[in-house]
Amino acid sequence: MLSESARATTREEARFRIDAPNSRSRAIKVIALDRASETVLRRLAQQPWRNAAFMTVLNKQPAAQPVGGWLADLAGDTMSLIEEIRSADVVVTLSNAGENSEMAGVVAEACRAQGKQMTALILDAAGAPEASLLKTLVPLRPCASMLVVANGEEYVEAMLTALRA
Amino acid sequence: MLRKEQNDLLTQTGPGTSGGAFFRSYWLPALLAEELPTNDCPPVRVKLLSERLLAWRDSEGRYGLMDEFCAHRGVSLWFGRNEEKGLRCPYHGWKYDVTGQCIDVPSEPADSGYCQRIKLKSYPLVERGGILWTYMGPPDKQPPLPEYEIVNVRPQQRFVAKRLQECNWLQALEGGIDSSHVSWLHRGELNTDPLFKGSRGNQYNLNDARPVFEVVENPGGLYIGVRRNAENNSYYWRITPWVMPSYTMIPPRGNHPVHGHFWVPIDDENCWAWSFDYHSTRDLTETEVQAMRDGKGIYVKFVPGSYRPLQNKDNDYLIDREAQKAGRYYSGVEGIAMQDASLQESMGPVVDRTKENLVSTDNGIIMARHRMLKAMKALVDKGTVPPGVDPAHQRVRSAAVILPADQPFNEAAREALTVRDGVAHASV
Repeated sequence: MLSESARATTREEARFRIDAPNSRSRAIKVIALDRASETVLRRLAQQPWRNAAFMTVLNKQPAAQPVGGWLADLAGDTMSLIEEIRSADVVVTLSNAGENSEMAGVVAEACRAQGKQMTALILDAAGAPEASLLKTLVPLRPCASMLVVANGEEYVEAMLTALRA
Repeated sequence: MLRKEQNDLLTQTGPGTSGGAFFRSYWLPALLAEELPTNDCPPVRVKLLSERLLAWRDSEGRYGLMDEFCAHRGVSLWFGRNEEKGLRCPYHGWKYDVTGQCIDVPSEPADSGYCQRIKLKSYPLVERGGILWTYMGPPDKQPPLPEYEIVNVRPQQRFVAKRLQECNWLQALEGGIDSSHVSWLHRGELNTDPLFKGSRGNQYNLNDARPVFEVVENPGGLYIGVRRNAENNSYYWRITPWVMPSYTMIPPRGNHPVHGHFWVPIDDENCWAWSFDYHSTRDLTETEVQAMRDGKGIYVKFVPGSYRPLQNKDNDYLIDREAQKAGRYYSGVEGIAMQDASLQESMGPVVDRTKENLVSTDNGIIMARHRMLKAMKALVDKGTVPPGVDPAHQRVRSAAVILPADQPFNEAAREALTVRDGVAHASV
């Protein structure tokens, strides 16, 4: 008689796996930390996503805005960082190698306060001089629970697709 | 998740597939040299990339890897007589050399030239590092021989084995890239297995239960870095390289030998898990080799006379629920290798990745898939040689190092991550 494992791992048995959704859509917030990555973000935002929102970080909090207004949507309207992080399941920041990523600290602070993890992507790292890469990487490292240094920008789309964005 | 067509591309490696073309760009481990130990020894059936082949060694020590079946009536040449510089089919006496060229058709006049028109498909088979390697791609694209460090150390410094894994190769590879499972599935073994225990680095593992991951592309594949807090504003890094298509190395612990794997498709529902250990500057001790033979570390015990693990799906991997409950084996399965293999086989022959739910710690897996899909497309569309073919890409090491907190690990550990002949692995 076949063992439990031998019987269960056949191709025939795979046909009986339950064909029903096993997860609910997660809210993924993608935040560009610099102008170069904002360009990537705008291209990405043109594609159909299930539950991804794209935004940019402001260099300083506008005085006239409510507390936490560190973000802007792609139309330039200010958004509440706190609210956006609160409603996020996954937070992803984009930075281009060589660009200043200091604002990651503000996003990370909001993530910590809300108990969310932050994934940071550094793009276009291929051929970037070490000093240039360091400028971007050093501020990100203490902020991110996962840091990816990618050679090209196309990885962002691959990752968001893999995460069911 | 992957779309179905992406999953098919990555998991199908038979002739005519994109994944098959990708794998056929590389030298691949085909057999252990010990499987063809002497001239004129019995031939060995080999299935690789969904092709039925026969490996053999002729009277002059030349290795051959060719179509398993006689061109005459389709008899398996596994029954062949290996003698006098050729393999003769016992059915009607057709004889072949190691290139698959027919050299005798007894029923035809010798001067008819008939046998010269018969040639079985064959591939080169070359011994390096105790492994017989083959290249199954177009002959005009044959790359230089493999240069992984394991093939260049002396035999006394290395141990190589292979085991059958009864699932698609990608499930096995992704286990090698996924560093985040180690703290769960193998937590019992880190402090008890003779080939892992006792390093200072293990203390960092224990002291910081929240490791942070970084993934960095390199020319041949990826580095996956896992960092934990260490002293004086520094991090303890464990760095795993992946070289395309399927070479991974586990970061070292103390002065133990370093471990690694190749994952090679047999067909789309089975693969060979090649496992190796070596020390870059010293011979392995008798105790270490005995532990490897006894199935410790990344090794297994075998069904006698085979390369099938003794713990396998037919006996439910000898799962021990008592040991699971007591915490001796986190999954109830004994041994690091079979802990991995049992779970990867449980996914089914080819897991449906349209149903998975990846999280951010899976970025190593996501990036590996992304790079392979990109490499396959470039190969098929433009003939671009994929990463990992260049021997320079293969001269990488894993490392366990302590680095300043503000350094990119792949730059700060550049020397440690590169093969340096006569220099030990960087280890903590």
